[in-house]
Amino acid sequence: MRNLLFAHHLENAFESLLSHRLRTLLTVLGVTIGVASVTAILSLTEGATKLVQDQVDQLSGNVGVIRSGAEITNEAESLTRTQTNYATATLTEDDLAALEELPHLEAIAPLMNIRTTLKSNDPGSTSKSHLVVGTTPDLAKINNLTLGSGQFMDEISNANAAVLGEQLSVDLFGTEQSIGKTFTIRDQTFTVIGVLNMTNQPVNFSSIDFDNSALISLESAKSFTQNIAQIQQINLRADSPSNITPMMQAAEEALLTTHKGERDFTVLASDAIAEPTSQLFRTLAALSTIIAGISLVVGGIGIMNIMLVSVAERTREIGIRKSVGASNRHIIWQYIIESLAISITGGVLGYLLGLFAAFLLGMVLPFTPQLSFEVAGIALGLALLTGVIFGLYPAIKAARKDPIMSLRQTH
Amino acid sequence: MAQTKNNTVIQLKDLKKRFGIGDAEHYALRGIDLTIKKGEFVAIMGPSGCGKTTLLNILGLLDRASDGEYLLDGRSVEDLSSHKQAAIRSKNIGIIFQNFNLVPRMSVIENVALPLTYKGMSKTKRLTRASEVLKAFHLSEREYYMPWQLSGGQTQRVAIARALVNEPSIILADEPTGNLDSKASHIIMEELSDLHAQGNTIIMVTHNPNLTAYASRVIHMADGRIESDTSQHKAPSAPVYGRPLGGKKPKADEETEDSSAPTTQPTDAVLESTKSIQPVRRSMAKTRVRVKKVKIKNVRKRDRK
Repeated sequence: MRNLLFAHHLENAFESLLSHRLRTLLTVLGVTIGVASVTAILSLTEGATKLVQDQVDQLSGNVGVIRSGAEITNEAESLTRTQTNYATATLTEDDLAALEELPHLEAIAPLMNIRTTLKSNDPGSTSKSHLVVGTTPDLAKINNLTLGSGQFMDEISNANAAVLGEQLSVDLFGTEQSIGKTFTIRDQTFTVIGVLNMTNQPVNFSSIDFDNSALISLESAKSFTQNIAQIQQINLRADSPSNITPMMQAAEEALLTTHKGERDFTVLASDAIAEPTSQLFRTLAALSTIIAGISLVVGGIGIMNIMLVSVAERTREIGIRKSVGASNRHIIWQYIIESLAISITGGVLGYLLGLFAAFLLGMVLPFTPQLSFEVAGIALGLALLTGVIFGLYPAIKAARKDPIMSLRQTH
Repeated sequence: MAQTKNNTVIQLKDLKKRFGIGDAEHYALRGIDLTIKKGEFVAIMGPSGCGKTTLLNILGLLDRASDGEYLLDGRSVEDLSSHKQAAIRSKNIGIIFQNFNLVPRMSVIENVALPLTYKGMSKTKRLTRASEVLKAFHLSEREYYMPWQLSGGQTQRVAIARALVNEPSIILADEPTGNLDSKASHIIMEELSDLHAQGNTIIMVTHNPNLTAYASRVIHMADGRIESDTSQHKAPSAPVYGRPLGGKKPKADEETEDSSAPTTQPTDAVLESTKSIQPVRRSMAKTRVRVKKVKIKNVRKRDRK
């Protein structure tokens, strides 16, 4: 019985909406824009996450990282706090030494980031801020870095040897063939021994754009910070994917010992490191989702407005329906279904429009948006929710109308 | 429809209706005691503001009394939830209004089918049933007209068809001819008295004393009270409606000419019940149907022109 009534309400809703085409179109448009922006932002965010996820998958899931600074568990805090790569780090060489003793450890590489300017003798080179990373030879193994020319650092390479990202090499020397050339970091001269292949992964779990970085040994990097290592992150690799979880647990215990119980570091294993690494990125994504949500609320207000007008226009009809046997519940359903018809139509159109916008944006961004059921579900769920929330008040208002007063109303 | 032993459909006990509070307090009904039996055609008369419409609204469960008791089919309905009252409206009550109250954006057949929606009938069944009822009112050709394309008399006949589509136990009419000219009024009244002859219970509010001739019982109201009630003086079967329209008796030739026209067939159940209640009324029904046929014929002729 309920189904039959539902069919009646649905038919009724479409008939009533089609009789005011322009009005309906504009209301649907409000929802469409709201859902479209939410969809675009979510699928782009998902795309960025997927990018890092793919890297982790490529590394066959046996990579874990330890980051300096306590884990941010509070979402509100994550919006207000931005992580800086050059603040005093909480990870030290002692920690590194402790971690090297872990069972199942295959490779370990510290990342000590220094943001500074590099200078070369090349007349065309510009003095720009670049990232210099102090690390160990294992990094190439963990992060799958490959060399276009030359060699990576090893145990016997000189203290002043450096490996450049391809883009950095071009910026400094005007060519990617820069083996043997020299540049200076804070008046210390370094010689290029290798140039990395282009990675094209500005967003990754190491928070380093390797195309634009210079890699030097941890020992050399320490010389810029009074011989005390300021390690922002340690990348670890287990000998097999099944061992990564126990290994990272052991790592956590080891660090708790060296840090004397202070949990001022973050241990992340396999899937967890796929979360967008840049805090700023996360902040922006969260803020834009909120703004998109606001446009959805505006769309919802549009629905409520139109539904109230519609209820006022059809006061008499409500009276007639009640007098022939409609209960308050029937009237509520009639109007809820009408507002749902608007919001779901807007939701579907908005999802399609949002994907279109996301793919347009994806052309200029380093990552492509993802098609996922989750985003589709969220978009349609939000549309549904908007329809119910903003349709409920007009529906209740319609149902509460006194049949006698409604019948007396003249147009 | 629970048939009580004495066929009482409506029983009101000291019914009161108050509007406003404090200084603005005003009683529209000051204690109505009324019993209406199955098959009665009650006309409620009285000056404006005497509470006729308020009484009808309460009978139709569109309004609640402030005090007193209202038994419909032997069941007290005052304390029922609005949802249950709506269900009773849907099942047992058909209402006809002065200003027709068809839904303007729905066609004639959809309007007639509307009450069935709330009984949970499928669309096909709804429309089939509505079509049957419209046929009985000779409105088959108007099924897909919109309400504004009909004349006043036709509109009110559609409204009556809508009130009947649920096979209600009582039909309430609030000045059904108030917006119609005298010719259309008489057609509508013929329809109503025809329904009455088929055994339906009708309660009609009217200003027009001429129309009371169709009723089996006339109640006069004044200041929220019943002033006079014919059933207390005359037997219910008193032939007040025997010759409602003195000058409008059908001519013999018209009668024969119309023999092929579709007629309203009283259902077996109705016939059964009327037989058991008042055998006299059945013979009345036959004459009534005959008169009606002629009336419809006249309407058709007029439409063709």
